[in-house]
Amino acid sequence: MAESPPEVSGAETISVTGGRRRFDLVVRVAELLIAALFIYAGVLKAYDPLGFANDIDNYKLLPWSLGVRLAFFLPWLEVVCGLTILARRYYHGSLSLLILLVSVFIGASAIAKARGIDVTCGCFGHAGRNMSFAGHLALDFAILAALIVIWRWRFKDNRTRA
Amino acid sequence: MSGIVARQILALCAVALLPAIGEAFYFRDKIPWQTPVAASEYATLAMAESWGDDLIWVDARTDAEYSAGHVPGAFSLNEDRWNELLPHMLERWAPGKKVLVYCSSQSCNLSRAVAHRLRTEVQIPDVYILQGGWEEWLKAHPK
Amino acid sequence: MKSHFAFAILFGFISTIAHAELKWDQTTLELHPGFGDKEAVGHFKYQNVGKTAVKLTSVKASCGCTVPTWKKDEVDPGEKGEITATFSIGNRVGTQVKTVSVQTDEPSSQPTVLTLKAVLPEGITLVPSFVYWKVGEKAAGKTILVTAGKDYLAKKIEVQTSNPQFGATVEPVKGGGSWKILVTPLQTERSGSAVITVKTDFPKDSPGVFYANASVAGGLPGQGPTSVPRQ
Repeated sequence: MAESPPEVSGAETISVTGGRRRFDLVVRVAELLIAALFIYAGVLKAYDPLGFANDIDNYKLLPWSLGVRLAFFLPWLEVVCGLTILARRYYHGSLSLLILLVSVFIGASAIAKARGIDVTCGCFGHAGRNMSFAGHLALDFAILAALIVIWRWRFKDNRTRA
Repeated sequence: MSGIVARQILALCAVALLPAIGEAFYFRDKIPWQTPVAASEYATLAMAESWGDDLIWVDARTDAEYSAGHVPGAFSLNEDRWNELLPHMLERWAPGKKVLVYCSSQSCNLSRAVAHRLRTEVQIPDVYILQGGWEEWLKAHPK
Repeated sequence: MKSHFAFAILFGFISTIAHAELKWDQTTLELHPGFGDKEAVGHFKYQNVGKTAVKLTSVKASCGCTVPTWKKDEVDPGEKGEITATFSIGNRVGTQVKTVSVQTDEPSSQPTVLTLKAVLPEGITLVPSFVYWKVGEKAAGKTILVTAGKDYLAKKIEVQTSNPQFGATVEPVKGGGSWKILVTPLQTERSGSAVITVKTDFPKDSPGVFYANASVAGGLPGQGPTSVPRQ
């Protein structure tokens, strides 16, 4: 795992020693996977906006008229964020946005489950229909954890280790 | 720093808005923007065929019409013998399967009545009515 | 001009008389069959108040469940008759509206639509009437709420399942008129289904019987507990 970084100013680049270089590689792989995941999930949802709108509606947290418009917007937002992570542009904003989206989604799932609503996700379109709720939640927490680890590695203490 | 992040987030949202609006424009006539349409309404024969094994056919016509000819594998389910016929269809049903009800043509009310009872009493999701009815199936599968 | 006018009035007069040849007592009948009735019968009476015989050329019901019968096709002037519409209730519920379309050889040639409205009495309603478990789902009990219609004076109900793999118990709800049926599958490893028969004690002479369904669905039927892969 990462050693605590030495005191440096934002302008200096950080010298990478063995351990940090290895972890940096891990983070790059994680970025690739996360980016691919969000691009894939986004495209899948963009393909069937009405299906996604129905999935959002299942949570019963938003009125239909708002949910249906989000159903068009969110998938493309995921795709754009995934692409910017790959391209290393608008990177900080992208990660922050994804962390926000995944957290909100986990919260919404918890609320729905507490209300007894059976939400079969909808994250991966109808491809994700066969996963159990616990499985979905575990996957989402894993994604959130990965995002937070990447974020901390790249942007902790206002440093940019891009 | 947070100012930069905020600006980036705004920019990302703006960029995402472009394809989103384009797609919404493309689908503008196909999406119910104000209220959701009940999932249980009409399905075309093409849609039905794309569902493959996940589909259960239900013939809402009378026993006599069913005996004279029906979609292969379709379950007869009508209001005359609802209690007797329903269990057979439910035996084949599992969550995730779609049910397609048909009767003698678009204007026939039998399929509507059967679909309505499946949705409200039996409370299974994904109940559809075949657009064009039995005639539509016959056109695609002439004897 | 005047002759045209007179002709028009005469023609109108004649056609009005022609319209009125077959007069119906009522073209809409509301029936209230009792519990346990298998049919509801409506008698649509008519009389030929015209000067020429009227022939019934076509009498068609809106559905196969309603069968119209009549004594003869030709109705002589002054003669009375009726079309008897027998509606087989089957397993229907709620208010049912069925129609019989009668076409005669009268010059007006508009079919007369006879409407039979059968207000079926509310027995007991089972909500939902189908409970199910996915293969592998926890075998916890699911509840069916039984509510008696306001005129349905059943004091108790008995439940039975057609498949010993499903158990069903009843408990009355305070206040009377409703019960809870708890359906529990013995196992959810294999798929299977059952019909739940609910017998009431009303009406005394022919107590009502109602049905619900239960099923464990999703796996291949008849496989042993160890061979069905968990979802």
